[in-house]
Amino acid sequence: MKLKSYFWTFAIGVVCLTAWEILVHLLGTSELVMPAPTRIADVLWKSLSNGYLWPHIWQTLLEVFWGILLGGLMGFIGGIALGESKHLRSLLMPYVVLSQVVPKLALAPLFIVWFGFGVLPTVVMTALICFFPLLENTVTSMQQVDPQKLELFRMLRANKWQTLWRLKIPSGLPNIMAGFRVAVVLAWVGAVVGEFIGSSKGLGALIIAAQGSMDTPLMFAVLVVITVLGISSYWIVQIFERRFFYS
Amino acid sequence: MNSDSVITRNEPKTQHLLRLREVSFSYLDGVETLHNIKLDLAPGEFHCLIGRSGCGKTSLLKLAAGLLLPTGGEVVWNNQLLDVPQNDMGFVFQHPTLLEWLDVLDNVLLPISLHKKINKQDTEQAKNLLQRMGLVNSFHDKPAELSGGQQSRVAIARALITSPRILFMDEPFASLDAITREELQADLMDICAEHKTSILFVTHDIGEAVYLGDQVSVMVEGKIHRTLTIELPQPRHNAIRHSPEFNRYSASLRQAMEGAV
Repeated sequence: MKLKSYFWTFAIGVVCLTAWEILVHLLGTSELVMPAPTRIADVLWKSLSNGYLWPHIWQTLLEVFWGILLGGLMGFIGGIALGESKHLRSLLMPYVVLSQVVPKLALAPLFIVWFGFGVLPTVVMTALICFFPLLENTVTSMQQVDPQKLELFRMLRANKWQTLWRLKIPSGLPNIMAGFRVAVVLAWVGAVVGEFIGSSKGLGALIIAAQGSMDTPLMFAVLVVITVLGISSYWIVQIFERRFFYS
Repeated sequence: MNSDSVITRNEPKTQHLLRLREVSFSYLDGVETLHNIKLDLAPGEFHCLIGRSGCGKTSLLKLAAGLLLPTGGEVVWNNQLLDVPQNDMGFVFQHPTLLEWLDVLDNVLLPISLHKKINKQDTEQAKNLLQRMGLVNSFHDKPAELSGGQQSRVAIARALITSPRILFMDEPFASLDAITREELQADLMDICAEHKTSILFVTHDIGEAVYLGDQVSVMVEGKIHRTLTIELPQPRHNAIRHSPEFNRYSASLRQAMEGAV
């Protein structure tokens, strides 16, 4: 049954790509506007095999990694602190929301002023984007612990730390991990957008460079790479989660 | 428990393990949930609290366990004023409240693992208790893999692992089918008689109260309306549920519950 559903998912993809290929050839669309899938695949293969893409992939991977790590950690720790303290929550939550409603793309030029040109502003941008989903889900998880389990821990004379580490975090883990999955997907958006503006290296910077030289097939090829990397990182988190948390 | 809270009044030290003296309690809304409760529990005694939903049974149980503090009167545990739960108390909640990310054995060992490193002896004790509760092949199952009755058994084993002197139970069998409930009642009575554990047991099932209890207190609107001593022979077997005395006790409890309204 599962194999059958995989087959149909794959089949839909093949049909769409074939239709795209045929339409491009039939309508004689310019490569500048819409290159055919075979042309994109050709450019992708060449730029991978001649090593042109790898430094950019590596750069973006690095930024995504540090962005997730820093933003995720801050979101998780901040989420615990805000979830545990009502006082802190009422004091700081408006500022946290404020930091999220400000369009981050608009902040990018400021980040260049503050952090220079290159890896750092992109990492900061990515971290800022990853921060919120983890914070929000962690705060919610901390407050949604079953009251009877909290009473059980009181009955067992557990202290605040034990209640946090042995009850609140494990019981909130599915929610926290859901926030982490969202953060991992958004991290790619953060890194690519950051590179659009503040970097000359990385997949985002490459899209801007390809646009400048009117190399639309290369833009598509980079988009394919970003998509594949984004989906892979999501799957890795899912596999990690199943392997370590719910086994 | 403060050392200065030791009861020093001129009264003979009784053998009561738990005493509630003129206890009143209100939640934050100020409406009094419990009024002037007097209740004594001797070592090894099985005391049932029975009453309709919302009559204050659970609040009384939590006060007796130190999970709530009285707004009037005092709760005396082992001749000292009670202000927090003690290590020789166990509590079984209405729902099994097992930690779903731990296996059965780790759930049972939780009361110990929170305070010290688990040793081989603790594990053996947990396994013995689980065996005693009929859960031989489920040591490493997760709670979600167990039936409702099995989960209740694990919750009872967890409450008993520290060999408490008293067990507080809040309608622990309410959601189980009749046969599983009767099996668990019998197992509970056996184990507690074996360890001489006192039990304060909340239920709304008259038959359950008569079958289990040495004493049954009927609660109505936050007060103990009547306490009945059940003088059925021990150990009690299922057949006793069909005896005339059992029915007489059930009828008088029902009368007490209805008459008070």
